[in-house]
Amino acid sequence: MSDEETKPDVQSGGSGAVAPDDETPSWMERKTRSTGLSRLTYEYFERARREDQDLRTESDYVERDVLGFPTWPHEVIRNLAITMFFSGVILLIAATVPPHLGAPANPSKTPEVILPDWYLYWSFGLLKLNPLNPGLEILGGDKIISDQLYGVLANVVVVSAVAVVPFLNKGSARRPVEQPFWAAIGVGGFVFSITIAAIAVQNLIPLSLALQLNLAFVLPIVSGIITYAVLKTMREGYMYDLNRRYYRLRPPK
Amino acid sequence: MSLEKKDEFDHNAWLKRKDLTPIETTFLMSLIYLDQRLRIVDYLEVLETLYYRVNLQMPKSHTEQYNLDNKFWYWYPLYSLGFFSIVAYIIAAATGALLGFYYTPSTAGDPSMAYNSVVAITTDLNFGFYLRSLHRWSAQFMTAAVFLHMIRVYFTGAYKEPRELNWILGIVLISLTLVFGYTGYLLPWNQLAFWAGQIGVEMALAVPIVGEWGAQLVFGGFTLGEATIVRMYILHVFVLPFVVTALIALHVGIVWMQGIAEPH
Repeated sequence: MSDEETKPDVQSGGSGAVAPDDETPSWMERKTRSTGLSRLTYEYFERARREDQDLRTESDYVERDVLGFPTWPHEVIRNLAITMFFSGVILLIAATVPPHLGAPANPSKTPEVILPDWYLYWSFGLLKLNPLNPGLEILGGDKIISDQLYGVLANVVVVSAVAVVPFLNKGSARRPVEQPFWAAIGVGGFVFSITIAAIAVQNLIPLSLALQLNLAFVLPIVSGIITYAVLKTMREGYMYDLNRRYYRLRPPK
Repeated sequence: MSLEKKDEFDHNAWLKRKDLTPIETTFLMSLIYLDQRLRIVDYLEVLETLYYRVNLQMPKSHTEQYNLDNKFWYWYPLYSLGFFSIVAYIIAAATGALLGFYYTPSTAGDPSMAYNSVVAITTDLNFGFYLRSLHRWSAQFMTAAVFLHMIRVYFTGAYKEPRELNWILGIVLISLTLVFGYTGYLLPWNQLAFWAGQIGVEMALAVPIVGEWGAQLVFGGFTLGEATIVRMYILHVFVLPFVVTALIALHVGIVWMQGIAEPH
């Protein structure tokens, strides 16, 4: 280093077999040399960081005004508590309520109740919408698409309706009270998933098919309207609080 | 005028200016070499933040920081559904791997070998009934958690603008979860399984143009049989686990990068 350079050359004396005392690094010199390495590392990383910082300020990337809070550690640690509890519930229920294994498959004997697992009831219900498949007078009452295809298309329509939601509803509003309309759509959709599941098990429910089909479409609309009315009413009182403590942080667009 | 870079971050010029000993030069050269390739500086920062994370108090949470009272905590259980569905998925994977040792995907015989193997698992195998019960219940819990997770995301507006991609990915994942459930439902080859499979074939055949092709691809023909159960088995234990695990990793990775959507 710069200190060593200023020292006079001491190699002229001595045999050269043993390093003269002046050249052997002392403990202190070793110490400064090793701390020098960490200092060097530090200096280099500081430069690298500044370089990154400069690149960031130069770039035209605009940081977006979207708030989020960290997955780690907040979210994961909190989740662990609740998740451990419910994993225990899985172990307990698995021990107390074992699954039923019915009769073996028999292609020649159609059972009275054909059902998928509960989570596919909504899809199965959509397959049973054939009474709504319109017949056309011009075709002599024939249907333009088969009942089965109608059911499959109903599934496609429902899934794609869910998929387009984030492209229709944008902005910074988060709570249902802020957007009663979208909350109403959500509640309507949720109720529809239940009523349509009821259609899947229609033969187990003592109501006529026509009434059930009407209920399947009227109930979601009614619950949507009720949600809308309730949230609209709540909004006024709610918005005061929101404005005070929250919109100051994240002004609405 | 030379072509060499003369900017502030010309590390070589900096090295020359520093006038270092051979040890220091070697050290620094290798450090720069590694850093330029592996971005060590980033990992150093990770270590640094980890250090502060373990040594300091946990930072204030979003709700504490912005004084959102306890409104968030009230809804909190709904925020853990995504994580819970992953845990249920892991339980199902572990028990499923064990069940796979004893299950035979074949319709040969009457009742079929598949059905007999499930009977053998539940009656002859030590803890076999519990294993099957655990597999089925964790699958049920996972599906329920995934549905409720979607509802939570909808009503807290967490799907909004920068997170559309993850919403779409979530729809793909929920669909694949349902396919997982459906293929698993068919494996015991009991009456319910057979007739649920029948509905699946009819659904596939109803689709114009690609319907028949799809039925042959997924169910191995227009009537249910040996080919169907083998395909369902391969889908259930080979194809779907890889695809779903990869997509879950992507889904969680995007959440990790974007942060949990602010609740209020």
